[in-house]
Amino acid sequence: MKDFTVFWGCTIQTRFPFLEKSTRMVLDGFNLPYRDIDGFTCCPEKSLVNNIDHGLWVLTAARNVALLDKAGVDLVSPCTGCVSNLATVNSELHLDNKEKNKVNSILNEIGLEFKGKNKLRHLVPFFHDEVGIPAIKNKLIKPFNGMRIAIHYGCHMIRPSHALKNDDPLDPKKFDNLIRAMGAESVQYMTKLLCCGQGLDRVDQHENALHFARLKLKELKALKVDAMALCCPSCYLQFDNNQFLMEKEGEKFGIPILYFTELLGMAMGYRPEDLGLDSHRIEATDFLEKWQRLNGELAKTTELNRQLEEGFGIAQP
Amino acid sequence: MESLNLKLLEVCSKCGACYHICPSCLNLDEGYDPRAVIKDILAGQYEKWLSHKSIWQCLECHHCLEICFQHYGFENAMAAMRTLASKKGLATTQVKRGWDMFIKTSKLGEPAAPARKKLGLPEAAKSGAEDFKKILKIYQERKV
Ligand code: SF4
Ligand code: SF4
Repeated sequence: MKDFTVFWGCTIQTRFPFLEKSTRMVLDGFNLPYRDIDGFTCCPEKSLVNNIDHGLWVLTAARNVALLDKAGVDLVSPCTGCVSNLATVNSELHLDNKEKNKVNSILNEIGLEFKGKNKLRHLVPFFHDEVGIPAIKNKLIKPFNGMRIAIHYGCHMIRPSHALKNDDPLDPKKFDNLIRAMGAESVQYMTKLLCCGQGLDRVDQHENALHFARLKLKELKALKVDAMALCCPSCYLQFDNNQFLMEKEGEKFGIPILYFTELLGMAMGYRPEDLGLDSHRIEATDFLEKWQRLNGELAKTTELNRQLEEGFGIAQP
Repeated sequence: MESLNLKLLEVCSKCGACYHICPSCLNLDEGYDPRAVIKDILAGQYEKWLSHKSIWQCLECHHCLEICFQHYGFENAMAAMRTLASKKGLATTQVKRGWDMFIKTSKLGEPAAPARKKLGLPEAAKSGAEDFKKILKIYQERKV
């Protein structure tokens, strides 16, 4: 496997460092060849920077990608927005030589050149394609058999597909495959591919952001799922923090929001508190209790099966 | 990206397909509808939309882009409207605040050092703020 760096992005490092923790724990658990490199800035956030100045959006993203060219490493990110922004600019510059030259004439001044030669991938498709389902299954100590988990992909994990090229943009499957590989049921639901709506919080439309959070949480509550799984700090903010704010106002959903890395880490046998689960605003107590109970039962069945099998080997007196 | 390509928008005015997949169109009670904005752009009367909250309701989910046979999508028209609005100082408060922070620091926040320590995380890698300042200066000089 080629060496890679992790692009943490502003939101995880500023607001949710425990998500960096669980990501590092699972990357280390698989012994993957990653290292931090100096010099990244904001990806930058498209809905902010591109809205105001497209040229600066392209230049800033191109500089981040050029750092990969210099270090000769691929990029993996646990943030969907970061990857999607970087990949979109990457693809735009590959299609437009004139713009690429313009960008490079500025980057040359600081000793960089945009080539865009390295892979830019989100952590979920990376685990699916590069680590692979069999390797993941091999690592499972406490799988989620019997648990019902609803996946929220997050728009920018899969779109725009011309730039990301990692899954079907309207019918994605990789996250589902991973959740099933961990033993859980991936619950299918109507609003599965609906945007989280967190963007509205960034343009002073908090009530509308809550409206979007509610659409999904209401359906998941009715379906009695055990948790929602996602892998984007912005979606996490929307469903954990905004759910908490609604609960404070008396609207109860009780859907724990679990990061892909937290689920994988737990299945690998790490302790939930070491993975940062106690930093969540929506508690996962019920989820954890059910999971412990089911794992106890699973262990008992496995033990019975072992004894049964052994029985056949016992020599008759 | 050709943001306000009138030829493409002309086709939109006859198509409207992405309305039916757009989460904001389908779910916002007050009625987000880029078709109306596009109609006004084509008629040369887009001015009123620049101060309208509608143009900030595009979630940039890229659903429209994925289904559009022109590879255009409502989102590009909406982004162009937001750029025009920003040029006139009509960006929302939070957008302005975020922009200022980005220009000053090259980021939207700094790593939380005490929390990192408590979690046992290594020191965060250095940011590229210095180099960013340099290229920003060149970029701005060349723009004028
Ligand atoms: S990107 Fe914007 S306009 Fe396009 S479907 Fe999503 S919310 Fe609607
Ligand atoms: S952006 Fe594309 S899909 Fe949407 S109305 Fe225009 S032509 Fe139709």
